[in-house]
Amino acid sequence: MDKTTMLGLYRDMWMIRAFEQGLEREFEQGNVPGMLHTGLGQEATQAALADQLLATDCFFPDHRCHGINALAQQRHSGDGERIMAELFGKATGVCSGKGGSLHSADPAVGNFGDNAVEGSYMATVLGVALASKLRGEPNVACAIIGDGTVGRGEFHESLNMAAIWQLPVLYACVNNGYAISMPVGQGHASADIVDLARGYGFPCEQVDGNDIVECHEKIGVAIAHIRAGHGPYFVELKTWRWQGIFAGEFRPDAEVKYWREDHDPILMTVDRLIGLGCTSAELDAIEQEARGVIDEWITFAKESPAPDLAKATANVYVNWEVTGA
Amino acid sequence: MTETEKKVRKTSFTKALNDALDLGMDRFPEMFLIGEDIGEMGGDFGVTKKLWAKYGGERVRDTPLSEAAIIGTCVGAAMVGMRPVAEIMFADFLGECYDQIVNNAAKVHYMFDGQFTAPLVIRTACGGGFGGGPHHSQSVEGWFMNVPGIVIVAPSNPTDAKGLLLASIESEDPVLFLEHKALYRVRAEVPDGYYTTPLGQAAVAREGSDVTVVATMRMVPMALAAAEQAAADGISVEVVDLRTIRPYDAETMLGSVSRTGRAVVANEAPRIGGLGAELSARIHEECFSDLLGPVVRVDGLDAPIPFSVPLEHVILPDETDISAAIRTAMEKS
Ligand SMILES: Cc1ncc(C[n+]2csc(CCOP(=O)(O)OP(=O)(O)O)c2C)c(N)n1
Ligand SMILES: [Mg+2]
Repeated sequence: MDKTTMLGLYRDMWMIRAFEQGLEREFEQGNVPGMLHTGLGQEATQAALADQLLATDCFFPDHRCHGINALAQQRHSGDGERIMAELFGKATGVCSGKGGSLHSADPAVGNFGDNAVEGSYMATVLGVALASKLRGEPNVACAIIGDGTVGRGEFHESLNMAAIWQLPVLYACVNNGYAISMPVGQGHASADIVDLARGYGFPCEQVDGNDIVECHEKIGVAIAHIRAGHGPYFVELKTWRWQGIFAGEFRPDAEVKYWREDHDPILMTVDRLIGLGCTSAELDAIEQEARGVIDEWITFAKESPAPDLAKATANVYVNWEVTGA
Repeated sequence: MTETEKKVRKTSFTKALNDALDLGMDRFPEMFLIGEDIGEMGGDFGVTKKLWAKYGGERVRDTPLSEAAIIGTCVGAAMVGMRPVAEIMFADFLGECYDQIVNNAAKVHYMFDGQFTAPLVIRTACGGGFGGGPHHSQSVEGWFMNVPGIVIVAPSNPTDAKGLLLASIESEDPVLFLEHKALYRVRAEVPDGYYTTPLGQAAVAREGSDVTVVATMRMVPMALAAAEQAAADGISVEVVDLRTIRPYDAETMLGSVSRTGRAVVANEAPRIGGLGAELSARIHEECFSDLLGPVVRVDGLDAPIPFSVPLEHVILPDETDISAAIRTAMEKS
């Protein structure tokens, strides 16, 4: 990977980290309603996808995907702050505050929104992919799924149907080792999710999800395969989430140290960039710039108006008004 | 009906639906059919007969037993402007795709604040009376009545079935289209060609002045038969066929009850939490001062539907129950 590409991805990973850390801070202060799941520690998976999916593609983000949502929004529409505003429940959010953290969507940037019934869109993605195929459009429909999601019946239904119909689906499985408290090897017949996907007969790849170069390259190969009309592709991205369960850390110390210190996707990229001749001052400036942008987004979100209350019953149906509020 | 000058011919409910699908496929290039055994075989009840031969396997798509994937495919395709029409072989299997219907189809328009629509139709065979047993006989409208965002259509005759199905295909909102199995072979005069019957509008199937019977699907022909009997006893019964269960036409129903002063609500599903409960509550709330007596409900008993036909008869309501309810409504006022 050339230095410019890597620097771009480095910046994107910092955007994600700064976004999530800023959000965590605001959440703790009680400024962000609802629940908070962050993508901290998994920045490489989202940066690699965001860099290669086009606005005409489709992705279904999961609950840790604020980062890819914001990157896509910024890249394709120039208003990443509207993802932040959505999380604050504001009128300026991408869904006018109706969706929040778990349902931020904007089809104009390819973001088809999360379904907080984890993994439901493993089924939905088939329809977007089928439409592309029937229309002869070279688009990729991507479902970003967690390891926990693999336990759902839709995993089988989706992979099977994508296979028999050769649909342009990219399964990006973010295996961070746990589903809330359930270790992946305990909840599934194999701790390596690719083992479960291989029987469907399309290409499956396991990737170090914290190695931005490997992530970017393997996702690139998968996207090229799909775009060329060769059918579905499954990529398992092995990573680890910094966020423990809702209260505290339950994972062994050595594991925490390995992932947070020795195998941090951003620090790994720093080493690579220094090797390519970047200075630490240059890299610090990228981090500071990202933090500055995110602070502006947070200010925008906080200063934005609350949604118009009349909208509470808007858009239930296309053809009928719902009254009674 | 948009065009009234059409030629009519005697057509079965099944063929009327088949014609509607054919006309829809012909008119809307973005429409496709998806379901189990709907292709060459033409569906378990023959509703998609000959369409595979005419439109091909790309637009008439056979699937494995994957109900969640079938409806998920519909939702995703509808989100990008296709018009899918799914067949779920038996309504009892809607549990397999309940999440896709309730959390996706019904909500993508709302939760993403209008950025997506889900113009899809889910056709399914419901209802009992043929010894289908506990898993092939249920009336499922109650499972979906509590779900804002979904449209529930429930025709009672071939003419409406065709017009309502075409209106459902045209609808920008997701439609659950209920086909009562006992109606499939019913024949009636059905106009040729393309026409739509508006969603959300009830029909007055028979005019009367003493009591209103509000009914759906198979309960409509039964209510009409009961009305005929009542006429012999000097009771004039108005029959309102709801046609769309959600959002339903309160105006027609309440207007009728206000005039007659008495109401019977008839549907096949179990009583608790069902359509009858909603209609009865609404009538009591809004027609209280016009009512001459309490609303009388006719519905299924609060039990699963057993296989053995005499047992099934105990559970499911019929014409006699509607006649009895009409008498009760008259006596209690
Ligand atoms: C169908 C469903 N079941 C359970 C939940 C509750 N839940 C939310 S996140 C989660 C764990 C998901 O694990 P995974 O897919 O591995 O994602 P991770 O949080 O590890 O990124 C669960 C069980 C849900 N939202 N949806
Ligand atoms: Mg996980």
